Amino acid sequence: MEVVETKITHKQIKQALLIRSVEEMFLTLFSQGKLNGTVHTCVGQEFSAIAFAGQLKKGDFIFSNHRCHGHYLAFTKDVRGLLAELLGKASGTCGGIGSSQHLCKDNFFSNGIQGGIIPVAAGYALANKLKQNGAVGIVFIGDGTLGEGALYETMNIISKWEIPLLIVCENNFYAQSTPQSVNLAGDIQARAQAFDINTYKGTTWEPELLIEKASIAIEEVRKTQQPIFFLVETFRLNAHSKGDDDRAESELTHYKGKDYLNQFKKESPIYYDNYIKEINTKIERLVTEILLEEELPIESYYQASTLVSNVNWKAIAPINQRQVERLNGFFKQKIEQDDRVLFIGEDILSPYGGAFKVAKDLSFIRPAQVFSTPISEAAIAGISNGLALNGFKPFVEIMFGDFVTLALDQIINHASKFYHMFNKQITCPVVFRMPMGGYRGYGPTHSQTLDKFLIGIDNIKTIALNVFIDPARLYDCIYLEKHPVIVIENKADYGKKIMHHKSSNFIYESNQDNYPVVKICPVASKPTLTIVAYGGIADMVATILEEIFVETDFKPELIVPTLLSNLPIDIIYNSARNTQRLVVIEEGSAYAGVGSELISALMEQMDAPIQIKRIAAYPVPIPSVKSLENTVLPDKKRIIQTIKESFL
Amino acid sequence: MALLHDIRVPLIAVNDTTLTVVALLFKDGDEVQKEDIIMTFETSKTTYDVEAESDGFVKYFCEVDKEYAVNDVVAQLFSDRSDLDIAVQKLTTILPEIKITEEVISATVWTGDTVYSAKALEFIEKNKVDKKLFVGKDFVSQNDIEQLLNISNNNAKSVIYVERIAPQQPVHSEVDTQNVDIQLLTSNKKREINFLQSVQAAGLTSLISVTVETEGIFTFINTTQKYFKNTLLPVIIYETSRLLKKYKVLNGYFTDNAIAFYKDVNIGFAVDIDKGLKVLKIPNASDKTMVAIEEALFSLSNKYLDDILQVEDLTDITFTITDLSAEGVGLFYPLVNKNNSAILGISAIDEKLQRCTLTLTFDHRVTEGKTAANFLKELKHRLESYQFKDGKKELDHLFCFKCLKTMKEDLSGIGFLKCITSQGKEATICQSCVKGF
Repeated sequence: MEVVETKITHKQIKQALLIRSVEEMFLTLFSQGKLNGTVHTCVGQEFSAIAFAGQLKKGDFIFSNHRCHGHYLAFTKDVRGLLAELLGKASGTCGGIGSSQHLCKDNFFSNGIQGGIIPVAAGYALANKLKQNGAVGIVFIGDGTLGEGALYETMNIISKWEIPLLIVCENNFYAQSTPQSVNLAGDIQARAQAFDINTYKGTTWEPELLIEKASIAIEEVRKTQQPIFFLVETFRLNAHSKGDDDRAESELTHYKGKDYLNQFKKESPIYYDNYIKEINTKIERLVTEILLEEELPIESYYQASTLVSNVNWKAIAPINQRQVERLNGFFKQKIEQDDRVLFIGEDILSPYGGAFKVAKDLSFIRPAQVFSTPISEAAIAGISNGLALNGFKPFVEIMFGDFVTLALDQIINHASKFYHMFNKQITCPVVFRMPMGGYRGYGPTHSQTLDKFLIGIDNIKTIALNVFIDPARLYDCIYLEKHPVIVIENKADYGKKIMHHKSSNFIYESNQDNYPVVKICPVASKPTLTIVAYGGIADMVATILEEIFVETDFKPELIVPTLLSNLPIDIIYNSARNTQRLVVIEEGSAYAGVGSELISALMEQMDAPIQIKRIAAYPVPIPSVKSLENTVLPDKKRIIQTIKESFL
Repeated sequence: MALLHDIRVPLIAVNDTTLTVVALLFKDGDEVQKEDIIMTFETSKTTYDVEAESDGFVKYFCEVDKEYAVNDVVAQLFSDRSDLDIAVQKLTTILPEIKITEEVISATVWTGDTVYSAKALEFIEKNKVDKKLFVGKDFVSQNDIEQLLNISNNNAKSVIYVERIAPQQPVHSEVDTQNVDIQLLTSNKKREINFLQSVQAAGLTSLISVTVETEGIFTFINTTQKYFKNTLLPVIIYETSRLLKKYKVLNGYFTDNAIAFYKDVNIGFAVDIDKGLKVLKIPNASDKTMVAIEEALFSLSNKYLDDILQVEDLTDITFTITDLSAEGVGLFYPLVNKNNSAILGISAIDEKLQRCTLTLTFDHRVTEGKTAANFLKELKHRLESYQFKDGKKELDHLFCFKCLKTMKEDLSGIGFLKCITSQGKEATICQSCVKGF
């Protein structure tokens, strides 16, 4: 039995009782039908919250999971906000948008995705380290989270990069309905130790010991700026959420008896009753007040907007530099000018400078702002999210666009959601860059155009580079964006000069939008065919425009948008309305592709009959052998043949 | 006496969509030499001098210090001073020699290479279109060429956009490829469909027919015609063209609440022998003799067979005749061509009944059945007058080739002998001249 210096205070006991009462109030409100959704109560685990969340300093932060109420209350002390949030009122922590699992207040964050929050927390902590503000952070996980890969990716990185993050694993021996013995192999602490991370252990049945150890752990993280893994053994006395609880009655009874607060109730009934009465009165009063309040109106949360494109067309001047040089130049400039700009990716340290050399020399110029990561797309995306939340402007390079699939949880469930689900309290200005595209024989998993899975993710701008617009100009605008951005680059385009090819009988113009639209049309004639293509394939289409005319008798006008997440339907409408023929060419496959979105949006407004055709890749993995690759992907022959056959 | 050149505002810099005239170096009607500077423009960056491309007489349609849009005609060069007066009216309509309207080409004059589509080149090859027509164009599609040719008939408003050859709605019919094979329409056919839709679309065409007795009709015709035997086409062209001078309404066309009457009679006749259906023009047929008409028929048919037809052979047709008598068909319903108001169809001669049928489809918007009927009746009579009526010849028509006495004047009651003259011609001679006086 360890000797404990700390004595638990009645203040802490009251805090624990408060948490329990609030949770029990939620259960009551749920059964009364006043909550929309479910609750994951932490009854029985309160002291974990008190020990950790209750011992942090101002400036420290917490990331928690679905069972976050205790952590929230111990850290923010905001009972009213939590009650109002679950009751769905506008005065709630997040205006009723996030409710039980998605809370955000004063450096407290929670999200309902297990595992995903860990790298975000790590990024947040890394930001503190870079700012050198001495703040530390805690991320709460459960024993069930030990199944998620993101945890291990992150432990590897926080150990190697020495990030001041405290991982608290609340082991209550059940993952939802599954007992631990079914799914957990090996030892929990050994997992962290394998990554050279120091570990601690405590239980909620010995709260004083827990509180003392927690304090030591927190200070150690703060002083050494190294991560620590703290295993807390505990037990939740209620079901996982509001579903069935199939655990054995005897087990429940045992732990109910062991529970510290229940023992306190037995040993000091008078104190207990007084405290409980005071707490419950307060809670009931708050609930009664809150129930009369308003909910958030839709206009505060979301308003539809219409796109109006700029129509001031100016000629595009060629630049005698390759696209990759322009990109590299942009990053060199920004990384020097702005300490918040970070460049993160795999194999980006100089002299190698990244797979496509976009990061050339960056780590020579500003080594502290360049992070070369292990092969952990989920973790690096998450860490970048965390960095962005905490005041930095990270540019994340996903080496091949095909690998973005490993980072999709971070993009869709975290980056794209933070702003709205936390009721616009914070922004996440992260930038994910990745090269897509085939025609180089790299085969099925290194040649894809996965654009259609990336456009239309709410609140994320998806931008595609092309050879006509200086990428530095696009990135200057991206640099100023407050919300997440995905930039789709193209491997084959990196080596091309800006506007490297110009047909003499065509005019090349762009408009003045931030993410401009390029228009290539016959120098004198009126066009009789509208072509829309973007990204890498736009260059190929532009070089065959004259041939398209010669073979098909149609005079083409090529429109190349750069902002894919909000297509310039008005510009395309004006063109198609006149030519009455529209072909959309994309390198990805046709089904539910970019062309589908474009045509649907266009037809909603189109008031005249027009002929339409999509040309896209065949829906099979891209073969490596050249002849098949050039058949599966759209090639000149197929494009011209399809136009000839499809239009009158 | 011709317009030599339009001088248009040039496209010098991509951004300059208008230019200012800063100097006019001559006066209207002045004679200019080739390479003389006629006028000067100012662009955003520099000045630009316009040289005369040949000797001629200049007329200006612009003023100093005013701005004009690229491709506007600002001056013209004529071969004759007298042409200058008519220049003003004709400026915005079709100039017959060039046959182009401003809107049809483009808004800009292009000084670089002209790119032709494959279909355009094919068309130019086939129809011997003069490529000089396309100087200043950036792209020339088949459509552009067709626009050029179609528009020359239409002196009314100019077309803003390329005329669609296909119907507006895309074809939606479900085709069961198990039961049918698909063959796409040729552009010729599409063009034909477009031509014919023009008058027929109004749904107001009417058909009227008449039979022509043909017994003995070729007796004289075959002797006078050199190339064509046993066909009524030349004679029908001859008679019809003269009749159209009287029935002017069948030599015009309906145009937006008005009837346009052609000044000339240019008969078009249809041919379809291996090279596709075409209508070829015999210009001024009403002024041509039978021989000249036959010559024209012969030479045009040869041109058609040799694929050397010119644009002029196909355009400005005022009335069409379609002869299916060689196909053995009876009465048929020809369709009125674009910018015509009527078409005449000739059926095969029924050997038994010794007659053929003429059908006239006419546009009811410009005329009525009575007029059409009168036209046909008169045509019938004229044609039947060529008949050689065995034993029933008109007495005034028979005369002695020696003394020129007509049968009517002959009092002998014996009649005339059929003989062959010393020139080898068939003729009749009276008894007196045979016996001698």
